[in-house]
Amino acid sequence: MSEGSLRVVDSVQGKQHDKTIKGLLRQLVNGSPEQQAIEAGEIDAIIDYSGRNVILFPAARDALRLPAAGESTHEPVANNLLAALTQQEYQRLAPYLESVTLASGTVLHEPGEPIRFVYFPVDCLISLLPMVTGGRTVEVGLVGFDGMVGTSLALGVNVSSLRARVQIGGRAFRVSQARFTSALQDSQTLQHELNLYIYTELAASRQTALCRTLHRIEERVASRLLMTSARVRSDQFFVTQESLACVLGVRRESITQAAGALQRRRLITYSRGNLRILNRQGLEAASCHCYGRLDNLSHRA
Amino acid sequence: MSARRGKPGNTIDGPTTVAVLRLYIAGDAPNSVQAVVNIEAICRDCLNGAYDLEIIDVLEYPERAMAAGILVTPTLTKVYPLPAAQVVGNLSDRPRVLLAIGTRSEEQ
Ligand SMILES: [Zn+2]
Repeated sequence: MSEGSLRVVDSVQGKQHDKTIKGLLRQLVNGSPEQQAIEAGEIDAIIDYSGRNVILFPAARDALRLPAAGESTHEPVANNLLAALTQQEYQRLAPYLESVTLASGTVLHEPGEPIRFVYFPVDCLISLLPMVTGGRTVEVGLVGFDGMVGTSLALGVNVSSLRARVQIGGRAFRVSQARFTSALQDSQTLQHELNLYIYTELAASRQTALCRTLHRIEERVASRLLMTSARVRSDQFFVTQESLACVLGVRRESITQAAGALQRRRLITYSRGNLRILNRQGLEAASCHCYGRLDNLSHRA
Repeated sequence: MSARRGKPGNTIDGPTTVAVLRLYIAGDAPNSVQAVVNIEAICRDCLNGAYDLEIIDVLEYPERAMAAGILVTPTLTKVYPLPAAQVVGNLSDRPRVLLAIGTRSEEQ
């Protein structure tokens, strides 16, 4: 493995990835051998000196991406943390990754329980909720394909302080606590990505606290729907008013009112839990932008 | 992977010039695999064992690529004999690789 703070392999996702490649390509001298070889399709990776990063070209990226155990060959690793691993690191972890489908409402662990599995969501959404005796609970974290459930292991704590509850059902990969801990010891990439992710989680929970205090319910509902849509990668999803009320820490009637207002403005349709975003720009304008800001945080600067 | 291939170039007739080559690749990415196959064939066919080829996987040793000023992979560098030279790409253009290595073996 590499030394110091060196980043080993690209972990830049999607559009950000294309942007990084384009930026690096612009730095190459016109007509240079590097540029000619790129045009001839003979290049696999470009080295980003300022980011101390190796950025794989899409074809190389696809070729190096190994399928997880039990997965079809062409399925990409659809979780950002897993996708950030180097081929070698991923290969070591892959045999222990189990593909699971999580039903909405399932509790992955309760506060005070030992963490038996770490979950990497693919298209499901997990709420992290602290338990308040005798009172309503409120969500302090939301985990989608950008992260994982069980980050406290990276901090050396193997007991959860939160309830992890599946808010929107879907697929995830899971790996046992023991395997994850040993993978973490072996992988600087995973450590680095997790540190970054834990930082993002922390910033998100601070922002959530601020959002709850300062922003109107309608704005918060709009933000929440946008964030959910981004995490499940769809404009349509199922979410009950009760669960929205629970995660936002408000009464159910407030959700009914806010959702009704958004519907009257033709930004969404919402019927029996089936939510559909009709006008994304409009919904963004109606939101308090808290979650948009947080989603940007998960991409590195 | 950082593998050394090739034999020492010293023979009973005295030392021959040994080409010191480094190939920077990105794991098993398609062009990298191609470059390894091509350079091994070139070494075998044209360098009569007088080479020291090191294959450096930048996914494992990015700092080595940076230290050498490598911009993209695959890149082949000739470290010795001087002058140093580079070929970028999957090394399918054999004459160009031989020109960069500076060997006259192709004339034999
Ligand atoms: Zn807000």
